[in-house]
This record gives sequence, C-alpha cells and structure tokens, in this order.
Amino acid sequence: MSSAPAIACVDVVKTYEEGRIRALSGMSLHVEPAEFVAVVGPSGCGKSTLLHLIAALDRPDGGEIHVAGHDLARERNLDHYRARHVGMIFQLHNLLPTLNALENVQVPMFELGIRASSRRERARHLLALVGLAERERNRPAELSGGERQRVAIARALANEPSVLLADEPTGSLDSEAGRVVLDLLERVRADRETTLVLVTHDGTVAARADRIVRMLDGRVDELPPTRPMARPATAVAST
Amino acid sequence: MTFVSLVFRNLFRQRMRTVLTVVGISVGIAIVVALGAITGGLKDTAGAMLREGGADFMVARKGSADLTFSTVSEQEWAAVASTEGVERATGVLLHVTRHGSNAFFPLLGIRPAQLGEGPPELVAGRLLATGATDEVMLGESGAADTKSAPGSLVTIDGKPLRVVGIFRSENVFYDSGGYAPLATVQRLARKPGVVTAVYVAAADGTDPARLASAIENAFPDLTTVASVGEYGKVDQGIQVMDALNLAVSVLAVALGAIAVMNTMIMAVFERTREFGILRAVGWRGSRIMRLVLTEALFLCLVAAALGAVFGVLATRGVMLIEEIRSFLEPTYSPDVFLRAVLIAAGVGLVGALYPAYRAVRLSPMEALRHE
Repeated sequence: MSSAPAIACVDVVKTYEEGRIRALSGMSLHVEPAEFVAVVGPSGCGKSTLLHLIAALDRPDGGEIHVAGHDLARERNLDHYRARHVGMIFQLHNLLPTLNALENVQVPMFELGIRASSRRERARHLLALVGLAERERNRPAELSGGERQRVAIARALANEPSVLLADEPTGSLDSEAGRVVLDLLERVRADRETTLVLVTHDGTVAARADRIVRMLDGRVDELPPTRPMARPATAVAST
Repeated sequence: MTFVSLVFRNLFRQRMRTVLTVVGISVGIAIVVALGAITGGLKDTAGAMLREGGADFMVARKGSADLTFSTVSEQEWAAVASTEGVERATGVLLHVTRHGSNAFFPLLGIRPAQLGEGPPELVAGRLLATGATDEVMLGESGAADTKSAPGSLVTIDGKPLRVVGIFRSENVFYDSGGYAPLATVQRLARKPGVVTAVYVAAADGTDPARLASAIENAFPDLTTVASVGEYGKVDQGIQVMDALNLAVSVLAVALGAIAVMNTMIMAVFERTREFGILRAVGWRGSRIMRLVLTEALFLCLVAAALGAVFGVLATRGVMLIEEIRSFLEPTYSPDVFLRAVLIAAGVGLVGALYPAYRAVRLSPMEALRHE
C-alpha cells in the first residue's frame, strides 16, 4: 500500500442496551484515500452504526477507528474532528428547518472562525456546485426531497472534509432525484478526491461504487469489486 | 448569517412564549426600578436634610425609628453648641402635619435669628423676623398649593400664621413645606423644650469627623449623622426601603430565573434534534451552550429595557397622587438602571444554565434520535 488508508476500522464492537444488542461484532474495514466504497447489507446489520462511529457521532465499545490520521479512541476534540475531517449526509437531510438553504450550508463553517461574508460566499459557491444557486433563500420545507439532499451535500462539503459519509442518501428519494444526488456525489468525489463511504441497501446505487462492502450481523462480508479499480481492494473480513 | 442572527431567529420561533417571558421578567424589573427610584428619592430628601443650613452633620436621638420621633432637649442642644470646635448649632423641630391638600406638610421650627445663618433661597418676601411668633415662610410648591403669597394668612393646626416669605428648595419635601418660629412649632407639635435635631457646623480648623466623635462620646444617647449612609442611625425608613428593595430584587431574580428556565428548557427540549445536527456538523458543545445562554441573556436584556420603561411609567403614575408628590421625587440615577440590567443578566444566566447544560449533555447520536 502506497499511503495510509483514509479510514481504518479494526475489530470494532458496538453494543446497545447494556450489551444485549450487538450492532457491530469485530468489524474491520480499510478505505483508501479518494476511494468510493458502498456498504450494503440487510436492515440491522450495522451499516449505519459503522458510519456513525466513523463520523464520531457515537463511541465504539471496542476496537480501533482511524480516520485521516486521527485515532478516534484517543481524539480529545471530537467536535473539531467532525468539523474539519468528515462531512455527514443523512437519509433524512437533517437540515435546520428555520434556516434557508444558504444559511444551512453556512452552519458548519462557524467552527472555522471565518468571517460572515466569507461564509456566505463559500455557501453560495457550494449551492451553485449542487445546482441550487436559485434556491438559496428557500427553507427546507420549500424544497423537494432531492433539493434538500443536495443542500445537505453542500453542507457536508462546507468545511472541505477529506471523508464524506452518506447514510442512505437516496433512500427517501424517487429514482430520478436519487440519480441526480448520486451523480453529484460521484462528481464531488472525483473533483475533490474525497473519500466517500456510502451506506445503501439499493444494489443499483452500490453498483456505482469502486468497491462494495457487504455487511452481515455486524461484520464485513466482502464481495468482489463491481468494476475495475485503480487501487486494490483493502477491506478485510473480520477474524 | 451571524451567531447573533441565529439567536434572534431562535427566539422568534415561539413568538408568544418569548413575549410572555419578556413581559413576566420585565414586571419584576419594573418593580425593582420603581423601588430603586423611590428609595433614591428618599435618600436625596435625607441628604437635603443633612445639609440643612450648610451644616457638617446632624445630631439626633440615637435609635429613632423615624427622624420625626427624635427629640433633643434644649439643654442637650445648648451643651452640644458649647462643645469645643462647634461654630454653629442650629436646632430644628420637624413637625409633619396636614395643610391644604398636603397630608405630609413639613413645618420646620427654627429660631428666626438662626435662619439667617444658612438661609433658604428667598424668592419673595422676607425671612422670619427675630422674636416673631405668628409668622411662616412657605416653600414655592407649598405656597402654590394654598395659593399663598407674602401677606396671606394661613392656618396650620388651628394656628393663624402670616406668610412673610416664599423660598425655593430643590428638595420637593422642603419645597412643599415651611419654616415657622421654633417656639410656635413646639406648641403646635406639643413638644415643648425639644427639637428634632441639631445641625452642627464645625469651626474653621476643626475636623468635622473628630468633632462628631467627640459629641457622640460626650452624649451617649445622641448620635451624629454626616452622610446618607449613616441615616439609618436615626431613621429606619430608608433601611426598610433598602431591605424591601433587596427582597424584591431577590424575588425578581428567583421568579425571573424560573420563567427563563421554563422557557429555555422547553426551547431546548423542542430543539434537541437540532442540537444533534449542530454537533454532527462539528459545533462544539461550548458553542451550543453559548447559543442557549445568549438567547436567554438577550431575552432578559430586552425585559430589562422594557422593565425600566415600565418602572419609570409606574413611578410617574404614583407621582400623580397629590399626597405623594408633595414629599417624594423619584431619582432615576444610573445605578437604578444598572442594577436592573445586572439583575436581568443574572436572571438570564441563572435560568439558562441548566437548559444549556441539558442541550450539550446528550451525545450527538442520542440528540439526533430525539423525535
């Protein structure tokens, strides 16, 4: 391997309800920089949990997670990590309802300590990137599902993260809106060389990734790459 | 979008709740402002009494609950006057009675000869004549109330007195009252041989503080008052007002804090998921805490401004009552409003601390799961 992986999960364990529910059971996964990995699997197999742990929205009960050189178990400032290194896209956009599109995109930038005018300009640029320049004054309730998800993508890109995490980004969209969102994610990934981990249960969505990682019962069950890749697959099944 | 505009946006989500909270807190602040202004006015009156005739300090009966209850015998007065270092000792008997429409008409009994030693500002007529027994000088507002002028005859406590002069005083209490010969006032007040207080001016080269101390040592039953801060030695009215003011302030803080806490807890609870989103996009817990605290602080500062306006309007309303207007002029000093602002800020911070803690206590994931 020529460089350190963008994401390295080793024997990650996550349980809920005092150990009665085991979401991840020794999950291991390596993702290369700028790689597009689709994580698939049946409901409850731990896909979203994995994404949330990588995004440091939750803490694992065991194992190690390294993202962009950060050991999350030892990372003291997870807020800073979330602000600078990962961009999260949820199935339900999770936009702030009282803010318009332009303002929603600016929200993560507060942590960068840049001036309001710079925040506004950067948000405008990102909305233009996702094709919503004309909708910047609209609140989430005034946008379609696909438009909301595109705003969420613009927000995830706000702080120029090295890793994009998308949890069922097309799950609540019709096929056309879903296609637009996926095209956008692929283009962003290619243009910015961003690592993209996308969780989906939709095979056609997963087929667009460099590599598909299948999960079952909280572990990786890897399938062969769906299309030729520039880099070798590095996902490893848990032992 | 700035941090402050985000604060505004959040406050205007539940307009009615915000407005009701602001009104609730502002009522408490209004009471604090009104009481502060009234207490300030009373202190000004007390201060004016202390400076009567250009005196350095006042001597009165120790432990009097109210200055009007103080009695200093003429023998004590004479002894004080003969104390080494005393330049001038002016005995004054304060008799508060009804006159005209004024239920608290202050009639000051003074020896006419001594009135000239530190005379009030005369605007018409003359001072009391030495040896006179049936003369009175009225303050401008007191004279206006009874439509009196030099030469008029007024009756006070059944005693006809000839108005010989009109004086002006910056103090509304004195301006609504009058001066009459001491012997006359002693008869009207049924207090023969006593005065309320003795106003002492120290001789050149004598330290007034040392002189006051010497008088207190020589007359254990008397006390000296040189400043408003010492006024409680001879009149507990201001102390009572100060205590009332403090009690109301504490209550205002407590009730206001509960109102703010209630509002902010509801707001935080409703926005739990949003706080999860903010955490998910990298907002520090401290920034979210600052957001909640700033919202509460802003709420309370608006309430402070509104409460200050209500407080001034309330005191102006009270001043429409003739009997109160005759002896009290509220003082709107900066510290009254500063205290209102500080109380409001305290209310905001105390009330919002727990909600703010609650807002950042949950992990981002727990907050995001909140429905």
